[in-house]
Amino acid sequence: MRQGSHLWPQHNGVTTGKFARWWCDMLLCVEGDTHARLRRMANPAFSPKLIADLQPKFQALANRLIDGFIDKGQCDFIAEFTEPYATGVICDLLGLLFEKWRELADIAADMGLALGVTFKEDLPRIEAAVGKLFDYAEELAADREANPSEDFVGLLVKANCENPDQLSRQEMLDMIVLAIFGGIDTTRNQIGLAMDMFIQNPDQWALLGERPELAKAAVEEVMRTRPTTTWVTRAATEDFEFQGLAISEGTTLHLWGQAACTDPAAMENAETFDITAARKPHFGFGGGTHHCLGHFIARGDMTAALALLASRIKNPRFAGEVIWLPDSGNTGAVKMPIAFDRA
Amino acid sequence: MKVHVDMSICLLHGQCVIAAPQVFSFNDEGGLVWPADCDEALRADVEAAADACPEQAIVIDG
Repeated sequence: MRQGSHLWPQHNGVTTGKFARWWCDMLLCVEGDTHARLRRMANPAFSPKLIADLQPKFQALANRLIDGFIDKGQCDFIAEFTEPYATGVICDLLGLLFEKWRELADIAADMGLALGVTFKEDLPRIEAAVGKLFDYAEELAADREANPSEDFVGLLVKANCENPDQLSRQEMLDMIVLAIFGGIDTTRNQIGLAMDMFIQNPDQWALLGERPELAKAAVEEVMRTRPTTTWVTRAATEDFEFQGLAISEGTTLHLWGQAACTDPAAMENAETFDITAARKPHFGFGGGTHHCLGHFIARGDMTAALALLASRIKNPRFAGEVIWLPDSGNTGAVKMPIAFDRA
Repeated sequence: MKVHVDMSICLLHGQCVIAAPQVFSFNDEGGLVWPADCDEALRADVEAAADACPEQAIVIDG
């Protein structure tokens, strides 16, 4: 099997343009030597070593956003927390001012239309968004070329300058765009899904409030039971049989990580949400050669957010209708009105 | 330099094979193989592999 998402633009009749070019050339959609080369070049910028420096920034950002709504006793958890938080984390990562978050979130949302069923109709908006995102990437790269640094963009620029045969300038820009595009919607959705799980399991939220050191395990338990990435996509590169099912070459396969990780046949109490339970690994970040490159950052920022939210907000509950994205491989809430008590 | 992989947490993603192909590889059965004692000249690659491992299963001793 190989990664299967490379066929997405083609399946939708989109074979030219900025989005299709970027999509088919970037890390997620390439295989073999090209994939290994790009991954080796990108790894230092996504190192777990960078997380320690970012942790205080994640906490400051989470506290700033919570300060914005805590006196009201209610908020739209998506508009007032998860969206500005996920985008603010990317601003921190790129070295952009937090005030840029709205613009960046809107561009990412327009670009995200490419993953929807109305991809082709939305193409003009998508192409405009891709253009804007590359302008951002170009500006950031030019800044680090003039002022070398050891931050995320600085490390990618360094990789391009030191090994241009291993990471071309275009490949470096593609990587910056992937980090922005891949980091915003996923994190926004996943933290919203975490709140959904905790509202359904109030004892677990109370426990997390008392024991913030459980936040790391809480992120894993949320991703096991309610991942935003419900499946990963692969394509069969040859005919094969899996447990009696014949799969022919070229078939697009959706591997249902969420179902696998909540399978009662595979583990005890599989459907119980318990942040203290020892669990088998989940597939919320995929697996194998295409395992999510940004997972150290995502785990770090979600851990910081859940620990602070649970310590400052008590008894969260729904206070209106939750609006969900259409069910697909990337799921989450677009609106989540909640009420709560102050700690 | 001694290289240890904690096989109780390794999930065979193969990120070490990408980061340090001269050190880590998969055998025909899909198992991970690596030399317990590794040439000092490959230290940078082994460190990159330990860093990139999603499960943080690689420990370098010495």
